[in-house]
Amino acid sequence: MSEQFTRRNLLHKAARGTVLATLGGGAGFLVRKAHGQVVWQVDTARCLNSRLGEVGMAACNLCTTECVVALSAVRAVNEHSRCGRCNICPAYFNITSAVDERGLPGEKLCPRDAITRKPIGKTDPEDPANNFYDYLIDEEKCDGCGKCVMQCKEPLGLGSIVLRIRYGRCVDCNRCAISRACPKGALIQVPVQQALR
Amino acid sequence: MIGGKGAGPGHFGASLRGMAVDAAVNLYAANDSQITLFDAAGRLRRRWSTSQPVHSVAVAGDGTVYTGQIRQIEIFDSAGKLIRTWRDDTLLGRVTAIGFVDGDVLAGDATGRAIRRFDPGGRFRNNIGRDNPLNGLLIPNGVVDFGVDAHGIIHAANPGKHRVERYTPAGELLGHIGHFHGTDPAGFGGCCNPTNVTVRDRIYVTEKAGPRAKVYSFGGELEAVIASDLFDANCKNMSVAVDRHGRVYVADTVKLAIFVFEPVGL
Repeated sequence: MSEQFTRRNLLHKAARGTVLATLGGGAGFLVRKAHGQVVWQVDTARCLNSRLGEVGMAACNLCTTECVVALSAVRAVNEHSRCGRCNICPAYFNITSAVDERGLPGEKLCPRDAITRKPIGKTDPEDPANNFYDYLIDEEKCDGCGKCVMQCKEPLGLGSIVLRIRYGRCVDCNRCAISRACPKGALIQVPVQQALR
Repeated sequence: MIGGKGAGPGHFGASLRGMAVDAAVNLYAANDSQITLFDAAGRLRRRWSTSQPVHSVAVAGDGTVYTGQIRQIEIFDSAGKLIRTWRDDTLLGRVTAIGFVDGDVLAGDATGRAIRRFDPGGRFRNNIGRDNPLNGLLIPNGVVDFGVDAHGIIHAANPGKHRVERYTPAGELLGHIGHFHGTDPAGFGGCCNPTNVTVRDRIYVTEKAGPRAKVYSFGGELEAVIASDLFDANCKNMSVAVDRHGRVYVADTVKLAIFVFEPVGL
């Protein structure tokens, strides 16, 4: 006897399919998570603060405001091998602030004073322009607001500062709150091995 | 406007890194792996290939064309025929500017952050801009650029120090113009400006972020600002040249176009 095709029957099948699909997808996702195979990552080529071509606008701070972790799990990171070690670093100084008696901008850019610098190599105490500088970001202070990232990128800077998720802070939400808010889809999930690279 | 991005005659494909203007106001563009020659009216006259991507071009008084490349300088006659090649793995890294002084050839080596001086036969004589606490010009932008004035003084951009420095051909630092300022157009803004420079009766420079050209007296007084909306905001390292009529040529490195500005009030 063929099964009777009723509305109740149809709804029951649809509901069962939905539950199975959800459980299957969720289970698959959880299995991947359990094996630590995927993690969230900031795609710097998509991030508004670091992607090339986006100039003359305010920095996006959604990584700060949307993350469920206090101060955000996202931090600005200076990739020192790409840093120009400039005397006038636009990520360190507010380069449009008034110039002080040393000829340097009088204000810093970071609202949390998370970036420090120190001269490296042979230093000239008389003329700061004769020195190279190491720029260090204090991750205990940084909240990933992205201001320094926006100022560092080409053509103003060299793009050595980028936003990175710190996996020791990230609580690995199944649906990252930043990813849902990011207008550029810059929060992506990648295999752990890719993230490690 | 001269050039523009494209595959057609008189267009540039992927890069536009250098320019030079000769005494007859012919314009030589260093684009892609070729030299493109325009006449005074901006019409394409000829183009010829270089063996590598070309980073700079200069024209000697006898019409010989010098092209800066990676680890070499290729020298062509005025018709575009290769005469000879200078290769040097140590002294010629990325040659981003070429000039002439007292019969010698100057090459801006961005890898070594210095200007190399060679005799007419290609033998090394001395460095310029190398002997300082930074062991060279401070160029986070990756380009060494300079101009030579009528008295044989070399004016080199030192963008990390926000200066244009003056050197003798022997390499002695004579002084500089310029200082950092984030808002005053008389100063140089950003991390590293000016990126490019040339000289004639004045000092002409270009800056990045935001892109503009400026004109200074030799004493360092700002005389004009060419802050054109024509330039793409992402431009950097815009080559600048000036002809004998005072016209200023600026290469937009994103649009791959050369914009020509008439002098007004200078």
